[in-house]
Amino acid sequence: MKQLIELTINNRVYEVPVSPKDLLADVIRDKVRLTGTKKGCGQGDCGACTVLIDGEPVLSCLTLAIACQEKKIDTIEGLVAEDGQLHPIQQAYVDHGAVQCGFCTPGMILTSKALLDRNPKPSEEEIKRGISGNICRCTGYKKIVEAIFAAGETISTAGVK
Amino acid sequence: MNKDFTQVGRSVPRKDGPIKVKGEAIYTGDMVLPRMAYGKIKRSPYAHAIIKKIDYSKALEMPGVLAVVTGDEAPNKWGIVPQTANEVALAVGKVRFYNEGVAAVAAIDEETAEAALDLIEVEYEPLPVLTDPFESMKRANEVRIHEDAPENILHSGDQLFGDPDKAFAECTYILEREFSTSYVNHAFLEPHTSLASYDTQSGQLQLWSSTQVPHYLHTQLSIVLEMPMSKIRVTVPAVGGGFGGKGEASSSDFCAALLSRKIGRPVRIVFERSEVFATNKGRHPCHMKVKIGLDKDGYIQAVDFDNTMDGGAYAGWGIVVMFYTASMIHLPYKVPNARANVRRVYTNKPTCGAMRGLGGVQPRFAMECMLDEMAEMIGISPYELKMKNAVESGYRSVSNLHVPHTEYKKCLQTAAERSGYLEKHGKLPFGKGIGLAGGYYISGTAYTLYQSYKPHTTVLLRVDTEGGATLHCAAADIGQGCNTVMAQMAAEALGIRYEDVHVISGDTELGTFDLGSFASRLTYASGVAIKEAAKQINDKLFEVAAGMVGCRADQLEVKDCRFFSKFEPKKTIEWAKVVDVYTNSVGTLTGLGHFSPPRLKGIDLTRGKRVQGANIGHSPTFGFSCQIWEVDVDLETGKIRVDKVTEAGDCGQAVNPMSVDGQVEGSILFAMGQALYEEMKVAPDGKIINASLHDYKVPTAMELPEIDTTIVDSYDPTAPFGVKESGEGPVQPTIPAITNAIYDAIGVRFTDLPITPEKVLKALKEKREKEKSEGK
Amino acid sequence: MYLNNFEYFAPKTPGEALDLVGRMGNKAKVLAGGTDLIIMMKEKMIQPEYLIDINNVKEFKGISYEPGKGAVIGAATKISELEYSPVIRDKYFALHQAAGELGSVQVRTMATIGGNSCHASPAAETPTPLVAFGAKVVISSVSGDRELPLEEFILGNRKNALGEGELLTQFILPEPAPKSASRYWYIGLRDAMEIDAVNMAVNIVLENDGRTVKELTLVMGSVSPRPLVSVEVPGILVGKEFNSELVEKAAQAAAGEAKPISDIRASAEYRREVTAVLARRLLQAAFDAAREV
Repeated sequence: MKQLIELTINNRVYEVPVSPKDLLADVIRDKVRLTGTKKGCGQGDCGACTVLIDGEPVLSCLTLAIACQEKKIDTIEGLVAEDGQLHPIQQAYVDHGAVQCGFCTPGMILTSKALLDRNPKPSEEEIKRGISGNICRCTGYKKIVEAIFAAGETISTAGVK
Repeated sequence: MNKDFTQVGRSVPRKDGPIKVKGEAIYTGDMVLPRMAYGKIKRSPYAHAIIKKIDYSKALEMPGVLAVVTGDEAPNKWGIVPQTANEVALAVGKVRFYNEGVAAVAAIDEETAEAALDLIEVEYEPLPVLTDPFESMKRANEVRIHEDAPENILHSGDQLFGDPDKAFAECTYILEREFSTSYVNHAFLEPHTSLASYDTQSGQLQLWSSTQVPHYLHTQLSIVLEMPMSKIRVTVPAVGGGFGGKGEASSSDFCAALLSRKIGRPVRIVFERSEVFATNKGRHPCHMKVKIGLDKDGYIQAVDFDNTMDGGAYAGWGIVVMFYTASMIHLPYKVPNARANVRRVYTNKPTCGAMRGLGGVQPRFAMECMLDEMAEMIGISPYELKMKNAVESGYRSVSNLHVPHTEYKKCLQTAAERSGYLEKHGKLPFGKGIGLAGGYYISGTAYTLYQSYKPHTTVLLRVDTEGGATLHCAAADIGQGCNTVMAQMAAEALGIRYEDVHVISGDTELGTFDLGSFASRLTYASGVAIKEAAKQINDKLFEVAAGMVGCRADQLEVKDCRFFSKFEPKKTIEWAKVVDVYTNSVGTLTGLGHFSPPRLKGIDLTRGKRVQGANIGHSPTFGFSCQIWEVDVDLETGKIRVDKVTEAGDCGQAVNPMSVDGQVEGSILFAMGQALYEEMKVAPDGKIINASLHDYKVPTAMELPEIDTTIVDSYDPTAPFGVKESGEGPVQPTIPAITNAIYDAIGVRFTDLPITPEKVLKALKEKREKEKSEGK
Repeated sequence: MYLNNFEYFAPKTPGEALDLVGRMGNKAKVLAGGTDLIIMMKEKMIQPEYLIDINNVKEFKGISYEPGKGAVIGAATKISELEYSPVIRDKYFALHQAAGELGSVQVRTMATIGGNSCHASPAAETPTPLVAFGAKVVISSVSGDRELPLEEFILGNRKNALGEGELLTQFILPEPAPKSASRYWYIGLRDAMEIDAVNMAVNIVLENDGRTVKELTLVMGSVSPRPLVSVEVPGILVGKEFNSELVEKAAQAAAGEAKPISDIRASAEYRREVTAVLARRLLQAAFDAAREV
């Protein structure tokens, strides 16, 4: 049943054997061994498994890996620059205390990125709406909203993507 | 606050921030070991039933299945409270809640393990299911959940301090009310995960677990597996939240360990979200009858507290939570006479346990709402009533709780001023309201769960040229940030920078002893131990530094990585150079510090009698806070919108103010969930019908209101670095503050949770009908 | 929570897709967004032998609009595309609102307009406004296309009118009338990630006087097994000058028509009460908006 497919993750092509039923979250975690993508519920309710597909945030726990061929998949591991510098969103999360247990963090950051890519200067309301599919139980979201706001400022001033 | 600190009081980013934002932090479920197998647990479709037979022969025949274990193979009872230990790794003879584990499978992959569960045949004889604590007590003769609990009660307690009856007889204002709270779950984001690796040659077991309490887990593994603790090592990788839910062992821990020992291969078990709800250990639903009496001037004279707690199927933290609820009525107001009659009842539901602010949240809800109502009876502001009764530094409650230091009044004052409470309360248009509530929580705790004088925390500080300064402690950073805070305190004590302190925690072998991350104990406890350990190191380095700069050791200070003479600041030398000289001649330098909390007895001060359970809430100090909530009620749909929350907290000296704010903001949304949205709903057959994050509704970012927090100026002179807790106190005022705000908005006092739009609408309608019938 | 084994097909053309759907019939499930389907498969509610992924058929995607004629929306169009589409926002505002309130950002990125109707959950967001706009669906098969009002396509809780071998391929929305406006809203516990206790869409057309109601559709969701089109509300308001007394009467009528059930989200009584509130608010909002057109 398994077949070899190519998945482009963080600009690198991985050849992975998958069954049609294999979910992207499991393939990324167990086969590609990029474990930054988390599974908090397996039912699309918590957002921890969020990855970007062609720049848009999707729930990898409800996505068939086989359906992702010829697509550009970005996980949290792909955000750090080549020289090891944190992406401005990552840096803002650290600086603003937007991380506690860290389990929602990768998905939250990727959702933040999709949001800022669409709109680098979102209002507070737009930020809240944008991340409302990512549950965080530790921070109360306030510092996350502040971090996204600050990252947006950095990105639009510096022109970083 | 202490202005001389350089490392304590700094809002530094947390130690593990960078690896977490990069997705490189390793949680237990991210680990894969060579030859690792995968475990799954077969669960009961009945909430109460005799297990007649378990046949797993077909499962064993399935290709890829490596082993099956059942409860009979590990029947030793475990429990976080040793006196009431009644849980087993997997059900033995009987299941007591829906989805209780009855067998566990190990297979070469998780999918095979999951499929094998269907091949395990279990024959049950269903028993009547009790889901309500009052029904459970009533039908105890006919349906018994535990053989040794003939009334279906785990434990009950009666405490009497002073003479409440006499006091009530003399009171001018008396109010009696009943309150009930809902069945809520922690909903931490990382499900329970355990990875066990047993080495058949050495007989050594290592367990990686998403736990708050490596030490208690260690002891329970030793009991269930019948192995000495010295043959078990518990390691805590990154933990995706706990909030009390990982404050005792999980069946995933035992099952992974049992399976690993059986097959001699590592076994990993990751819970599904439904299993997190099934195993629960969340907050106890409480049914409370409370009576408060005030004298003519509004001073509290007596409190009578009756609490029936729905404990679910097993003991868990139950007895502790029960006595905590009784203890919690003694602060943050002066209560000269008090009585508590409390009982914790078994039902056929997933067990309740510890949840952020354990034992405090329910009685706080009742008392803060009642004081709000009593202020109205007297005709004064709730603020005034609470200020009048607020405890002061040095207060000793009638139950012998000693408050060495408090800035509670400053919290009330700050929150009231910043929110404009006095100008707004009672004066906003119908539908808009403002509500105030206070709260407090223990800090440091004074009680082990077993009778022992063993220090609660031991810290080993190691200083040498290789590692610089390294702090070893088996404390668990579950996301609250204790590694960062411990490093800041160690840096402060050693006179170096936070960035230069390494922390090795979360491992029973590499770290020195610690009880665990619960009861808001760690900042205080580790602070004491760190100070002691650092002093030993400083004493030795001072001698060397003195020789190097040419002065006496007692003339030296160490700060900003330099030793210098207090009297001749030019006589100075770098810390690292002194360490270099010391280690080059003597070798690695270590300091060992312990924390043993004060042992206060639970004594009725008026009679001098020891009162059962009254010492359980004793604590070296306490954190305090006040919250003021502003709400806008949609009068047509009943929906409550929170406009603003103003909080002021006394956490002593904040070690990391940014981290304190994070704890406070997190607490506010956490408790807001219980107030307005969250509730596990149980069908008559005991099944939880909303065991998913789809239908169990925790606040999303859209629910985030404007939050204004203030860390009030505070320094507890009895505490290490002046610190107190900030992780659990801030959940205490939330529910009553919202409830009081809703009353201010619509004139309805809610006494049960969650306060849903539906309840609001119904109450508004009843109010209108009542007013109509009264001809208003 | 593993899925059963199935064979996966990813057709690239409508012909291939219809051929597969025709050949595999009831043994196959069509994968659009997957946000409902995959969950149902995880829970073993369904175990299809074949999965036909229609996301690579570009003819099934996209929004086209022709002034005077209306819009055609491919069934595999993502909800987020509806949310951000200027045409949908300008011409079919209630659908824009419903699209923006469905699930989370992630769910909207994945889920499709066709899936939302085919899944036929009584609490679904987009069918309510679509029915209010008088949307028709195009049902295709190897033997050709047929059209059906969406109202008749959704038959009940998780039941739709697709026959074996048929695929929902398009939604056809008529051109909005002049002086018309639409509004959508819902009642739920939280402000995000909700399963609506009630949702509703109103589409109103005014006479040139800007006061008299010419045409009106009010559709309720989550208060009946399928989108419920009010019969009484147009009867009360059409041909009349819009006023608060009539609105109140209409709101009560809508509540009376609702056939809600009690479940874990809300009681029937509450649903009925807030149905009236939503009706009152949406009628007013739509009327106000239509006056501005």
